[in-house]
Amino acid sequence: MLSRVANLIYWMARQLERAENTARIVDVNAQLVLDLQSRQAADDPRSWAPLVFVSGSEEQFHKLHGETVTERAVVEYMLFDRRNPSSIISCVSQARENARCIRDLISSEVWETLNTFFLKLNEDDYTRYAQTGSAEYLSGVKTQIQLFYGVAASMLPRGDAWWFFELGRHLERADNVSRIIDVKYYMLLPDVSVVGTSLDMVQWASVLRSCSGFEAFRRSRRGQLNLERVVDYLLRDELFPRSILFSVAEAEQALVHIAAAAPHSQENPASQLTVALRTELEQTDTTTVIADGLHEFLDGIQLKIEGIHAAVQSTFIDYPVAGAKVLA
Amino acid sequence: MPDLFANYEHGRFYDEMFASPGVPRPHYQRLYERFNQLEGMGELLARQHTADQTFVNRGVTFTVYSDNRGTEKIFPFDLLPRIVPAHEWAHLERGLTQRMAALNHFLADIYGPQRILQEGIVPREMVETSKHFRREMVGFAMPRGLFVHINGTDLIRDEAGTYRVLEDNLRTPSGVSYVLEDRQVMKRVFPNLLRDYRVRPVETYPSDLLALLLHLAPDHVPEPTVVLLTPGVFNSAYFEHSFLARQMGIEIVEGSDLVVENDKVYMRRTGGLAPVHVIYRRIDDDFLDPTVFREDSLLGVPGLVNAYRKGNVALCNPIGTGVADDKAMYYYVPRMIKFYLGEDAILPNVETFLSSDEKDLTYILANLPKLVVKSVNEAGGYGMLVGPHSTQAQIEEFRAKIIDHPRNFVAQPTIGLSRCPAVCGESIEGRHIDLRPYILNGKTIKIMPGGLTRVALRRGSLVVNSSQGGGSKDTWVLSSDLTQPPYSVQTQEKIIV
Repeated sequence: MLSRVANLIYWMARQLERAENTARIVDVNAQLVLDLQSRQAADDPRSWAPLVFVSGSEEQFHKLHGETVTERAVVEYMLFDRRNPSSIISCVSQARENARCIRDLISSEVWETLNTFFLKLNEDDYTRYAQTGSAEYLSGVKTQIQLFYGVAASMLPRGDAWWFFELGRHLERADNVSRIIDVKYYMLLPDVSVVGTSLDMVQWASVLRSCSGFEAFRRSRRGQLNLERVVDYLLRDELFPRSILFSVAEAEQALVHIAAAAPHSQENPASQLTVALRTELEQTDTTTVIADGLHEFLDGIQLKIEGIHAAVQSTFIDYPVAGAKVLA
Repeated sequence: MPDLFANYEHGRFYDEMFASPGVPRPHYQRLYERFNQLEGMGELLARQHTADQTFVNRGVTFTVYSDNRGTEKIFPFDLLPRIVPAHEWAHLERGLTQRMAALNHFLADIYGPQRILQEGIVPREMVETSKHFRREMVGFAMPRGLFVHINGTDLIRDEAGTYRVLEDNLRTPSGVSYVLEDRQVMKRVFPNLLRDYRVRPVETYPSDLLALLLHLAPDHVPEPTVVLLTPGVFNSAYFEHSFLARQMGIEIVEGSDLVVENDKVYMRRTGGLAPVHVIYRRIDDDFLDPTVFREDSLLGVPGLVNAYRKGNVALCNPIGTGVADDKAMYYYVPRMIKFYLGEDAILPNVETFLSSDEKDLTYILANLPKLVVKSVNEAGGYGMLVGPHSTQAQIEEFRAKIIDHPRNFVAQPTIGLSRCPAVCGESIEGRHIDLRPYILNGKTIKIMPGGLTRVALRRGSLVVNSSQGGGSKDTWVLSSDLTQPPYSVQTQEKIIV
């Protein structure tokens, strides 16, 4: 497969996964704020600021919106602002541009699903969001993206195109889930006395729900909701499709398939880094991680995913021409 | 049954379908009868709707970027086919073959010994001042001696019904995908009529084109890799690029996918670099290689021209063909035919005045309101003045341009292009048409039977370009001159059209 085309698919998957998780992060925060209502006003900067922080675009947000963090500003910034490259509209619009370039490859149903979603989203704004209600609106966004995955999964042949799609999706998911855990961490930070209270449990339940993991967690019989169990579940569960470990393992599998088509690259750095991260997660002791600083640990994971991404680019996409393998 | 053509206005132009009002030409008799067996305009419009919907569903669209949203539109399609009898096609085929042969001789000559310049048949200055003359290619031995591979020659019929050449398109002629798609749609909409007419198939074009491309591959390569080079998804002809690549089963690439290493061309695949031997390029010379032509080109491939000169990769069309489709050079094509082949041109040109010629210039400036003035280097109906349809201000603007740059313009009398009936709103009206056949110059010269019939759908308009409100029609070249082929469904009471 052409490197450029592989990259278009890879990024299309990443952008859509990011859009979905942004919807999830905003959703979980809106729910957390509801739970906090008794103690804090919705516009208390402490309610919405963590979102801006974990999105990694704090600087640009403040440049555009000043120092005051309001719900409206954050929602507009994360959903509808084209100046924010990670907003839902930016991601979906980018994904659609990529899909347009590879229409032949992805079948017309896949393209149409995405195009229809984009055209609808393109008409939306904060007013529509507020009128619909955050939970309802965001669930609509998630459903549309899930629909796209469903159509893609039933249409795409399991060749390189599919594996680059899977690779992008799971790397992005692993990164995003680490950020979702971080949102909760930041919510807690100002007030450690909440730990172990019923409010605390309500909050962890929200985090799980944002990853569609509440029922799954319950079924996994891990017992009471608490910080350690929920973090361990989202970090290291081997079966839950949105856990970081699971996502990294899926990315690893995708790389196995990609490398199989190019036997000389079996020992590629992208695969090696992915295996290393998967092994690290398997051997991690969550209790220790929390004691040593969860935020720093999550930061470390994000950096390692960034490293895998860079290795994917330099191995399969943007490799130097000199010394590159010449195919027969 | 209502006569769908009862109110058809014949007009003063050559009419493709009617010899005189109410009297169809023999090769249109069958269609005339069949159309009048339809349930009036209602059924015709329903079929037109089916056809339009088929184009949308098949994604046969071009993209309009003026509104920033990348709206996709279909190239308007008209249901009434243009029918070319076998003997007319035989004449066109001879003329187009002759013209292709002469143009190949001409290009081989001006990039070689330049006999035609030495003998003063074509003024040397005319060649050397052409924007598309590539000095870099002089003396280069073109693979297989082929200096041009694909020509899309635009033909028109004048008021007397004589076919004339309007222009050649020797760089990257487009539109052939519409020919193939139009036929697919007609097969759905009028299957029986098409069969009864014994229409010659056009479907072999992609395999003929692929055979040509493979013929160009360097000798030492047993299994050559062919790719199609596109400027990208934002190009208005992108549909055609991806369509042809799919039909031929070759990879569609952008400039950034190709790299040149040791004068060899490779495409960048996820598993490594894959060698490329033939490039069917759909970008102009100017953008091919920033190290040789336009430095600011982001579409091209640095080093490509060197790889080409070394014979490691073939380009289709070759570099430098544009000099022969310069609209001023067009004037000399009949002389080229005489010079190289010793024959008279089978297909005449349209009378043309060169503003670089002093006598012609005087005539042009005195007759602007009657003439069509064309900029020699533009395509797509841009940079053009249609005198009779222009305001005084537009005429004066062109007058100034012509005086400033006489080499850049030619003028032709306004020709009343032939008309063919077309579905226009709720009725059938005459609309002007032209014809672009596609001529392939490989092992032999091969011409797809038919070509793109473009129709100026705006009432009275003579401009058929898609960018100027034009549409297309299917072109039916008949396999024999039988005026009454047998009905395939003769035994049925009501004939299915």
